[in-house]
Amino acid sequence: MRVSVRWAVVVSVLALVLGVGGLVPQAQTQTFRVCSDIAWPPFEWVDAKGEFVGFDLDVMRIIAILKGYKITIQNLGFDSIIPAVQAGQCDIGASGFTITEERKRVVDFSDPYWESNQSVLVRADSGLNIITAFRPGNKIGAQRGTTGAAWVEDNVIKQGIAVELKLYETYPLAEQDLINKQIHAVVEDEPAAKVAVKASKGVLKIAGIIMTEEQFGFLVRKGDPHRLLPRINDGMKEMKKKGIWNNLVEAYFGVDVNLERITQCWADLKGWLDKNQPEAYAENLAACMAGESYKKP
Amino acid sequence: MLEKLRLVWESLPLLLQGAIVTLELTVSLLLVGLVLGVLVALGQVYGPRPLAMLMSAYERFFRAMPILVLLIVVNFGLAFVANTYQWDWLRLPTFAVAVLVFGLHSSAYQSQIFRGAIQAIKPGQLLAARALGMTRLQAIRYITLPQALRLAIPGWSNEYSGVLKDTSFAFAIGVTELARQGWQIATRTREMFLIFITVALIYLVLTYLGTWLLELVERRVSVPGLAGQRREEHGRVI
Repeated sequence: MRVSVRWAVVVSVLALVLGVGGLVPQAQTQTFRVCSDIAWPPFEWVDAKGEFVGFDLDVMRIIAILKGYKITIQNLGFDSIIPAVQAGQCDIGASGFTITEERKRVVDFSDPYWESNQSVLVRADSGLNIITAFRPGNKIGAQRGTTGAAWVEDNVIKQGIAVELKLYETYPLAEQDLINKQIHAVVEDEPAAKVAVKASKGVLKIAGIIMTEEQFGFLVRKGDPHRLLPRINDGMKEMKKKGIWNNLVEAYFGVDVNLERITQCWADLKGWLDKNQPEAYAENLAACMAGESYKKP
Repeated sequence: MLEKLRLVWESLPLLLQGAIVTLELTVSLLLVGLVLGVLVALGQVYGPRPLAMLMSAYERFFRAMPILVLLIVVNFGLAFVANTYQWDWLRLPTFAVAVLVFGLHSSAYQSQIFRGAIQAIKPGQLLAARALGMTRLQAIRYITLPQALRLAIPGWSNEYSGVLKDTSFAFAIGVTELARQGWQIATRTREMFLIFITVALIYLVLTYLGTWLLELVERRVSVPGLAGQRREEHGRVI
């Protein structure tokens, strides 16, 4: 009896080990994997119910509806997304990627979908402005692997101004360190900086904007093996033509960036996407985020 | 204050979801590591010289690798090979890759726990078993292993609490476990300190529960009279 019990354990261990390996996803030609670091509102974040929300993800979902394919969204660290796309583990990278020459060497980009500038975040009581924030010896925070970090490297440190660049896992951590007076300023994209200012309830402010005029793009593997870029580019044009684009921009980048509100709006309205009606979705999302009356599906 | 408590309360479902992933990963990797670790230890102690050397090389290699480096190399390496040669069967889900990598890594550590335990069994017992007509394999299977596995439990429980926390590296390849869930909530609510204190408490509970369970197993399977098994016996002697 004892022996058989022990063997039963061994067999179940093996079954588990093999079973885990056996869960290979079936290759479905029409499902594409979208990878995103879902921790950068308002472009992408996880809401209070654990849903993946944000501008990038909605654009991906709506293009998929318009172009007749399906997507699954995979949450992955920002640094890992380009390697994963190169390795074929993700088909599309959608995580507020700035189109740069360096990245263009290893992946292909869609048409630009967003123009962003870098803003310099400081504590409101620090008295620093966009010049004094970069005084030699000051500590500047940014997220690893971002264009904000690259800007400080190229335009401050390499120009001989000895600031100390502190790199973080995510921007919210850099902002927290700024609030805690561990660093003097944070350089990050404008929409995300606005969210940070609002969330800090007046502790942080934007000292100034650096006109980098960066363009964001969705990225795919070099050579675009699944012919995704024409569909994405065409999908974005269609969204603009149908007015979906403007409504989404209004919902996510409107004056009052309210991360809590979207949880409610999303729960009420995502049914429109399930019904393949992106126009109705975007229109009602904009209304809901603006606090106006909206229609549930 | 009340508002903060409410935030913790509202975050719990997502955090517990992450805790379940952490536990699933921990249990699976420990089982993979257990099977491989015992085999490696047996090879090191009883195997012929070349096998013993091979097992030692395996153990040293995986103990030398930082888990994060191993995760990234294996995950992106497998996907790259799968893509280059169109081998779709090699496209493992990320959770499986995490179990595999953590399991290999842990097996190297576990092998040393088991090697120590096996070597604590006096060789005289094996001689006696052979004298009774048992084969080498039977002697290992019925004399050494039953005792050694019991002796290994305290060290193994240490391995449990170690790997439980290592699993937070799994997000590098996209497994959303407890620590990452905490990140995501902190990103949205900007309550870093509060959320991570909660995460820390959950890790504490998981560690405590796991080691308590293993202690229970240890007491349950203990053989009366087998040296070094019971705290009470040690206390009585001195």
